[in-house]
Amino acid sequence: MDGFDMIDSGTDGPSVTIRKAEASHADFVLSNVDLAFANSIRRIILAEVPTLAIDLVEVISNSSVLPDELLSHRLGLIPLDSTNIDDKLLYTRDCDCDGYCERCSVVLTLVAKCTGDQNVTVYARDLAVAAGAQLGNPVITDEAQKGSIICKLRKGQELNLKCIAKKGIAKEHAKWQPCAAVAFEYDPWNKLKHVDYWYETDAKAEWPKSANAGWEEPPLENEPFDYNAVPGKFYMDVETVGSLPPDEILRQGVKYLQEKLANVIAGVQKTAGATGTAASADGDINGMEDGYGGARSPDMGDANGYGRNFNDGYVTPYGGAGGGGAGAQTPFGGYGGGGYSNGW
Amino acid sequence: MTNTQDHETLPDAPEYDAENAGDAEFDDDDEPLDLTRENNAKITMLGSATDDDSCASFQFENEDHTLGNALRWIIMKNPQVEFCGYSIPHPSEAKMNMRIQTYGEITAKDALIKGLADLRDLCDVVTDKFVAEKERFTAEKRR
Repeated sequence: MDGFDMIDSGTDGPSVTIRKAEASHADFVLSNVDLAFANSIRRIILAEVPTLAIDLVEVISNSSVLPDELLSHRLGLIPLDSTNIDDKLLYTRDCDCDGYCERCSVVLTLVAKCTGDQNVTVYARDLAVAAGAQLGNPVITDEAQKGSIICKLRKGQELNLKCIAKKGIAKEHAKWQPCAAVAFEYDPWNKLKHVDYWYETDAKAEWPKSANAGWEEPPLENEPFDYNAVPGKFYMDVETVGSLPPDEILRQGVKYLQEKLANVIAGVQKTAGATGTAASADGDINGMEDGYGGARSPDMGDANGYGRNFNDGYVTPYGGAGGGGAGAQTPFGGYGGGGYSNGW
Repeated sequence: MTNTQDHETLPDAPEYDAENAGDAEFDDDDEPLDLTRENNAKITMLGSATDDDSCASFQFENEDHTLGNALRWIIMKNPQVEFCGYSIPHPSEAKMNMRIQTYGEITAKDALIKGLADLRDLCDVVTDKFVAEKERFTAEKRR
């Protein structure tokens, strides 16, 4: 590596400060990275971390007042426990079954009937997964342990549904969103003038102070505009729907960003194989002098005889030492790994 | 109404030339730009590369600002790179174009590969920092 300074504003490389961590949301400050990178993380958390959601509904009987399609839509939006979905479930399109099978789906059944004079309310808790399974259980966080309402039944009405939940990402349908919201703010004092506040007479008096304003120095009176300044501190609050814990969403998000990179690296290598001209400069991509040994799976280690063993730890230009704080793990951490080991 | 005749005097449409059809439109297999295009290629090199390969444009399939902006930034961080920019030419096509121009010490492709690897390592560092901070935070809370 050249050791060129990766970070404009700081010397220590990226840093993370957690301000609040609860079951449903994590509030943290990401510093010394660029706006582009922080925004990539936000985007990938919102749209590309896979979860489980009901995707097919076989209606055996539905005599409720809700039509089948409305009921199906409601079922799709119910958050389901998606912990470790990566290791446990394939995408249906990658599975070799026809339709669906236990390797690429979770089946939930909903059987309810109103026999008494009182109307019956059907809740998310009434969705039944196979006994003992954790994956696919409806997320229930309310005090009464009921979950969201699916529909109500009058005397004599009944529901008998077979729901097939599949793995997917929010880019395809919002029901697969792991997050209800990702708060994202930088420069709470608007020193960079990225925001042009509308005002009647005085913007300062009319606009409320940001909740993050206490984390940065307010601008001095008549402070000159620093045209070299760049945003370096990002205040993020990941709020989940309950299918995945917030810290897991973040880690998964970074992982999927890396997977994107891995796919491109694999693509570049393929491109090099297909043309003579493209790779002419260095003969082959693996011969690059920066010591990365080109692109390869982080799980491969030294198996192919090139590159270093990632387990030794290493220093990147970002200032962090590999494996720092995480023990003797690979820098890719001890989570999952499923996505990397196959394919490239 | 004086123009009732007009449509009858319009010239006939050119007759369909069955013999020469196809020649002009379908024998176009010398696409100089897509030297590397295969089916489902993730990335292709576009034309407008210089002879020494120090400048080149790449087209990414199925990528957007999530990858593009961060990659653009990290490639620009490389002091051997003169310019890097990306664009999404049309919102309804899942394609992302990236232009890289180096000072000539390395090829544009090297700069791209280095950028990809750097970004991957940055992701590692951020994950590590987050995991460490999470451990610290939970330990502190327990106390």
